[in-house]
Amino acid sequence: MQILIQLFHILVFPGLLFDVAMGVLLMGLNNKLVARMQNRVGPPILQPWYDFLKCCGKETIIPARAKRAVFLGSPYLGFVLLISVSMFIPFAGFIPVTMGSDLVVILYLLTFVSVCEILGAASSGSPFAGVGLSREMVAMISYELPFVLVILTVARAVGADQPSGAVFSLEGILAYQEMNGPLLFSPAAIPAAIAMLFVIPCETGMHPFDIAEAETEICEGMLAEYSGTPLAMYRLTHMVKVYTMSSLFVAMFLGNRFTGIVPVDILIGILLCIAVMFISAALPHAVCARLKVEQVFHFYWTVVTGFALAGLLLVWAGV
Amino acid sequence: MFQKWIDKSMRKSPWIYHINAGSCNGCDIELVSVLTPRYDAERFGFHLTGTPRQADIVVVSGPITMQSVDRLIRTLAQVPEPKCVVSLGSCPRSGNVFKGSFAIAGPLEKYTHVDVSVGGCTPKPEAIVAGLAKAAEILEEKRREMRKHGGMAPSPAVAAAVEHEERAEFGTGDATAVRQGAEQEADA
Ligand code: SF4
Repeated sequence: MQILIQLFHILVFPGLLFDVAMGVLLMGLNNKLVARMQNRVGPPILQPWYDFLKCCGKETIIPARAKRAVFLGSPYLGFVLLISVSMFIPFAGFIPVTMGSDLVVILYLLTFVSVCEILGAASSGSPFAGVGLSREMVAMISYELPFVLVILTVARAVGADQPSGAVFSLEGILAYQEMNGPLLFSPAAIPAAIAMLFVIPCETGMHPFDIAEAETEICEGMLAEYSGTPLAMYRLTHMVKVYTMSSLFVAMFLGNRFTGIVPVDILIGILLCIAVMFISAALPHAVCARLKVEQVFHFYWTVVTGFALAGLLLVWAGV
Repeated sequence: MFQKWIDKSMRKSPWIYHINAGSCNGCDIELVSVLTPRYDAERFGFHLTGTPRQADIVVVSGPITMQSVDRLIRTLAQVPEPKCVVSLGSCPRSGNVFKGSFAIAGPLEKYTHVDVSVGGCTPKPEAIVAGLAKAAEILEEKRREMRKHGGMAPSPAVAAAVEHEERAEFGTGDATAVRQGAEQEADA
């Protein structure tokens, strides 16, 4: 029975199926909201799901110069890694895998998801993918630093009066927020939350920061040679990543158990994810044109890192 | 059932790849205007991709100049099946005002089958949207056909066979040879 419940948590809720459903919902809502803000009708909310299915139905072409195994394997590996990340992130108080549910593990695994994408692109043998992956690395360097600072800030804010001085376990963070109210309401954590809101779109490659997939400049960049099912897996990974990042934000700054009634908590969790997605992804998308490579780098290492550092200093000073 | 879903979503998410084969830019601008808020083709799921590998509908504009013909054939060969070819404007069909020029290698039918042809110089955005919607329907049909030929989801080999038949039907069997040639060339 215990195993069955565990399996249910991993495969259905809040695991695989729920991740995919939320990914599709968030991505579809994102497209729709952006379209509405640009005074368009916009695609149906299920559009990302149609895109996914369509890609599954297309022929898979493997370029003659590609390394077959890596080219085909890395999209699946990336997806599996991302799903395993989401196993560690609590939703409405459920964590599918409680062991090692740790911010540092999540940080590592999220990096590996991007590395898988880079591997696939590098093995495709296309010069456009080469340009794309070098840009993706620039993006990674840009957002990793503020991301790490934000994680340190949260860990310190939660564990200031613990003997270890910092708490990296998400369960600990949730327990702290249950006792003391959401972290977002303490003034010292607000700069870190703002920095995190900027990290989300770059981490997920959403529009103004999608330098690695700039379709008009470098032919979709890293995905230039992908078609068929591997492409579908990439798109799915992308969607689920949006959900993973926003639910990570919710878990880190807003907590999980709001009322104690499970269905209501789930509903509030979903709404909060949508709100986070709207602020961090849809608004910049509608307002801003795609940034240049050095602009992204510059922006993240000055403004966003500035916010994150300010948050860290505030928390360390014990404000 | 999954296959049926895929068939259905073929029509709902056609991605466009645009090839400019020596167009005067009039048609290109009209195609872009189709994606603007006024006509918003994205509400039907259309999406302009940057690479032929992800395309479902290939839109060709311009009178196929000598310079572009080689690139045109190679790009068309890179598009995975099922795919649709839409000729945009009068140029790819007849050569239009450029007809008779020494630099023209058109019409487009010489090199590939054309599923939908949107006439006009330049075609109205409404006509382009209608043409693209028609192409999306043909796409779904083609996917059904492919499934009948190959049973389950098409493996590359099956798709190539289907493609060969299709090409033969349209009297352009040499395009398949060109495709292999192009891939080998890229390899070398
Ligand atoms: S059809 Fe007319 S507008 Fe279009 S490319 Fe030809 S000449 Fe230009």
